[in-house]
Amino acid sequence: MARSLSNMVLKGLSSLRSTHSSRAISGSFYNSAMRYSTTVTSDSDTHDDFKPTNKLPSSGLSVQDVVEQDIKENPVMIYMKGVPDSPRCGFSALAVKVLNEYKVPLSARNILEDLELKNAVKSFSCWPTFPQIFIKGEFIGGSDIILNLHQTGELKEKLKDIVTEANTENSG
Amino acid sequence: MASRGGAALLPRASRIKQKLQSALEASVLEVEDVSYQHAGHAAVKGNANETHFNLRIVSSKFNGQSLVKRHRMVYDLLGEELQSGLHAVSIVAKTPREVGSN
Repeated sequence: MARSLSNMVLKGLSSLRSTHSSRAISGSFYNSAMRYSTTVTSDSDTHDDFKPTNKLPSSGLSVQDVVEQDIKENPVMIYMKGVPDSPRCGFSALAVKVLNEYKVPLSARNILEDLELKNAVKSFSCWPTFPQIFIKGEFIGGSDIILNLHQTGELKEKLKDIVTEANTENSG
Repeated sequence: MASRGGAALLPRASRIKQKLQSALEASVLEVEDVSYQHAGHAAVKGNANETHFNLRIVSSKFNGQSLVKRHRMVYDLLGEELQSGLHAVSIVAKTPREVGSN
């Protein structure tokens, strides 16, 4: 049983790997990350070494507010271990690969770098593990669920209008 | 007779099995320790024992429940384990009917 499941996962993975690179994701991830780091890097007195890589911007928002804002403003939001280009956990890697298949803009935060954020996400969703995926504000679950929704076709349905928006922008 | 202290001495796999079995009355319950696959993992510091499990559960308690709800049921039952070093579980949660129709 377990073997057949892992075969299923591997089969899914290899088909994803062959059809699509992580290019689309890295672009949107860095855009999103930029949004939160520009105020720091534009300061001429600030050397990169002193840039707070693990902290959210001091925008006056509580970390709970940041999570709420994240999932409200980003149609596909993933809280993961590592970054989409370099996941630090197999489950996060799997979730990114599945989402990547749909070429939707993906916003991500690395919870390994911010314990406060990690705890805020956990209590927000009442879900103990990562990755955690939100689509259009709805909590979807972790990698098992995203893979399952992918295989049943439900994920395609959920991402349909997001995919359409992205295609419309690109095909102009 | 079965004291709390005694239960804590059981391997985590056995505790997981007990907790899930008694609450979910599972007709199929497979608990596979896959921690070795995650040794050296970013969040597994040195101790890679019983941190990662694959669970396959068939239970009529999942009837009418979404996947998220089913996973939440399992996570709720494993709350203590997650607090005490269980790092991740991969969950396959089916109803008897879903399995029968496969």
